[in-house]
Amino acid sequence: MKERGLVLWGFIFMLCMLAYSGRVDAGVAEGKKIFESKKCNDCHYTQGPAREKTIKDQLSKKGPELWYAGSKFKEGFLEKWLQDPKPIRPMKYYSLTEKNKGDHPKLSGKDAKEVAAFLMSLKSKDVKAGVIKAKKSARARIVFEKKLACYGCHLVKKGRKIVGGLTGPSLVDAGERLNPDWIYAYLVKPKVFKPVKDMPVYVGIVGDKEMKMLASYIATFKQKKKKK
Amino acid sequence: MIKRVIPLGAIFFFFVLVMLNGYAFGASAEENYQFYCAQCHGVKGKGDGPNATETQPVSPRDHTNTKEMKKLTDEDIINVIKSGGAATSKSTLMPPFGKTLTEKEIQELKDYLRKLCKC
Repeated sequence: MKERGLVLWGFIFMLCMLAYSGRVDAGVAEGKKIFESKKCNDCHYTQGPAREKTIKDQLSKKGPELWYAGSKFKEGFLEKWLQDPKPIRPMKYYSLTEKNKGDHPKLSGKDAKEVAAFLMSLKSKDVKAGVIKAKKSARARIVFEKKLACYGCHLVKKGRKIVGGLTGPSLVDAGERLNPDWIYAYLVKPKVFKPVKDMPVYVGIVGDKEMKMLASYIATFKQKKKKK
Repeated sequence: MIKRVIPLGAIFFFFVLVMLNGYAFGASAEENYQFYCAQCHGVKGKGDGPNATETQPVSPRDHTNTKEMKKLTDEDIINVIKSGGAATSKSTLMPPFGKTLTEKEIQELKDYLRKLCKC
């Protein structure tokens, strides 16, 4: 009798798992359809590896590549952002003269959910999950502010002010947007994700320990302080 | 014998190409300047790129300023591009490009700067 009960519960559990995975797959497939029908791939490509070989290749792109979006972004970020796409880069993608107009297409809640499910299914094997955790440290702050002066190209929060350069993506809320494991992977394997980019390569200049600290530190950046 | 030499020659030729090319994307000095340097130094080199915001503690160097640029030796320029401002007791806002650009590209950028400053 007891065994029968266990078998029955096991069967129900399996059915639930199948139904759940079916829903996830349906979301991914539906999201891919929406992505294609809205011509998102006119500006973003979703199949890796990286295609850019020259500066001209990089400059011909209208938006960032998304073939590793599932490793790059934090769970929940894309769904929210696609419904209210506030500029991440102050300048138009790789432009030195035009500001970002903030005219990225807005999606409905349903479409945003499906497209986010599709994009979050795009993972990179070069990002090891669960290794880097968000953590502040005095040494990482020195590397970020003094040694590399990342604010030279990226907007950052300094006290209550927002300071820095405009050509890189804003780091003000990087911790809400980026997966810390991806930040680290991007720093140590820049050629995998962006073989041609205007940010210098720091491999061989900054050690692995410092890269890890830096990724952990950037992952703590939040736009608003959470109310207790 | 010939069968052995041909593949070896091809491998040697490939390595020579890689050595000559390094990380380069086959870009001209102007292309590299516009891609990497103009972010801070501006498209015309006047030190007014989009990163030269009023919140920055120092302004990027004006590469068209003959008087100031004349003070720098070729070696100074190459060192700053390669190792960044910190290595030459200048602002760390100037990042090191030694792992991004090849020796040849850095050399060509130095020549490009000399053209900009007419010095």
